[in-house]
Amino acid sequence: MVTSNTTAGYGAPRDAAVPRYSTRIAKIVNSSLYRHTLGAAVESRWGRLILLAGVPLVWLIALHIGPIYQMLKISLLSHYPVQPGVDSQFTLANYRLFFSESLYFSPLIKSFIFATVATASTLIVVYPVAYYVAKVVRPEGRSKALLLLLVPFWAGELIRTFSVIMLLANRGAVNVLLREIGLIDRPIPMLYTSFSLGFGLVYLICLYMLLPLYSAIEKIPTQYLDAAADLGAGPFTRFRKIILPLSKDGIVSGCCLVFLTCIGVFATPMMLGGPNTVLFPETISGFFHGASDKWPVGAAFALIMLVTALIAAGIFMRLVGGRKRSAI
Amino acid sequence: MRNMFADAPRASLTAAYWAFILYLLLPLTLMMAMSFKGANYIAFPIGEWTFDWYVQVMQDKQFLDACLYSIMIAAATTVAATTLGTWIAMLIVAEGIRGQVVIFAIACLPAVVPGMISAISLRIFISTIDMPTGTMAIILGHTVHAVPFVVVMALTRLRTMPGNLVDAARDLGADSVVAFFRVTLPYLWPALFGGMIFCVLLSIDDFVRTFFLGGYRPTLPMLIFAKVQGGMSPEINAMATLVLVVTAAVGLYAEYMTRRARTR
Repeated sequence: MVTSNTTAGYGAPRDAAVPRYSTRIAKIVNSSLYRHTLGAAVESRWGRLILLAGVPLVWLIALHIGPIYQMLKISLLSHYPVQPGVDSQFTLANYRLFFSESLYFSPLIKSFIFATVATASTLIVVYPVAYYVAKVVRPEGRSKALLLLLVPFWAGELIRTFSVIMLLANRGAVNVLLREIGLIDRPIPMLYTSFSLGFGLVYLICLYMLLPLYSAIEKIPTQYLDAAADLGAGPFTRFRKIILPLSKDGIVSGCCLVFLTCIGVFATPMMLGGPNTVLFPETISGFFHGASDKWPVGAAFALIMLVTALIAAGIFMRLVGGRKRSAI
Repeated sequence: MRNMFADAPRASLTAAYWAFILYLLLPLTLMMAMSFKGANYIAFPIGEWTFDWYVQVMQDKQFLDACLYSIMIAAATTVAATTLGTWIAMLIVAEGIRGQVVIFAIACLPAVVPGMISAISLRIFISTIDMPTGTMAIILGHTVHAVPFVVVMALTRLRTMPGNLVDAARDLGADSVVAFFRVTLPYLWPALFGGMIFCVLLSIDDFVRTFFLGGYRPTLPMLIFAKVQGGMSPEINAMATLVLVVTAAVGLYAEYMTRRARTR
């Protein structure tokens, strides 16, 4: 370690060809402020460890786990925010409330049905597209073909949802077009129904399906397909026996991603859904914007949703049996 | 004859691709077209075309303020999330640290938790630490949301880094801080650049966290949402078109830069 005062230390200019910024770094490194703080810290093993792990661990524990933990804690309280004179005690009543009223129960069921249908539709719609880009397009054109698919996703969630209204409204493009060519006299009410909500959801989330599918399909060696074709397998057999099993990974991660996003979607049902499509997130949000001491109920409901969604995703993973990938 | 049959799946796949592109672009195109409608309600056909809505939007103080506010939040989020994400990634790849799988899982947690639940848990969290709703709370929420993406992008790049680069720097006398700033960080830069653009877009786009954590000053998505709820006019289309054009330009620029970095 060259950190003594007599030698110039790291990065000192040895000849004129050394770029200027390196002397600036040397100046910082050799300054007494640096040597007494960071410089001293990295000298010892513990100092290095604290420097490396301190901030990340505090952040991860406080802000990645903290909020969920607080939510769990509050969901078990009878009152929150605590008001003077009211005693808040430990209770399971908030969870019991969920199972006692179909008013609360049915939005969750609806949320699950919507998310499942949207996930399945997205998979069916997106799969051929992902396959086309990964295997049919020549490698040089691949990134361009992919880029074209990404463009709409630089528009935000809200703008994309809003643009669906243009298509489906009573005087939107579809209805006007159908009337022009004389197929209908009266507009078909499409907006503010389950259809518009489903359409909007698929429109919103297809990218989350596309990217995992694409990267999984792209990895399938083309020789496998050629070999299968040489041995007489038709397109359908090749798809069923080779492509589908080998892209299972992408299907699993894409479906889980889409499903979890769909479950937690909040603005889309409020913009595209109608009175019949009150989903669970809207129910939960009511507890936070209405009367103030309903927070524990909202927290309990949010946890119920989180746990059931994760369990559903877990069951799906187990059933389809994607290859266990190590996270790191 | 055989050739034609062999090409049938290929042709239908091509058709599926272009149909999908149409599906993706049609609503946005209609949305943009509607911003030129010369009437104050949204309906097809457009009829008279006008530029008035843009003039009105550009003079709308509320809109300009929301833009400024969104950009400010996005900038703060990006700085915080990139710093924290890189730091966490460095911890995960560090030698001699145990429990890396656990750390990685915790780092990715906010990306897996559905947005609504994340927003509520953050709302509860800031109230337990007595933080008021408003700018700081929004930045905190957006940062929590963005960190996992930076971690994953930084990790992907770090994995491809030859380990001897840092060793060489250390041999030449750099301590670990200097080695990080002079060797690892420049190597990470293309991934971090992509990650930063992603953070900006995530933050500008985010509605649900802002909805629960925000104060009275609206961000762009909040403003658009309020306008949609309050009765629609092509004014919203003009706003959305402006936002769309800017964010798409940022996205394209990022794509161009990362591609250039990759080919060089």
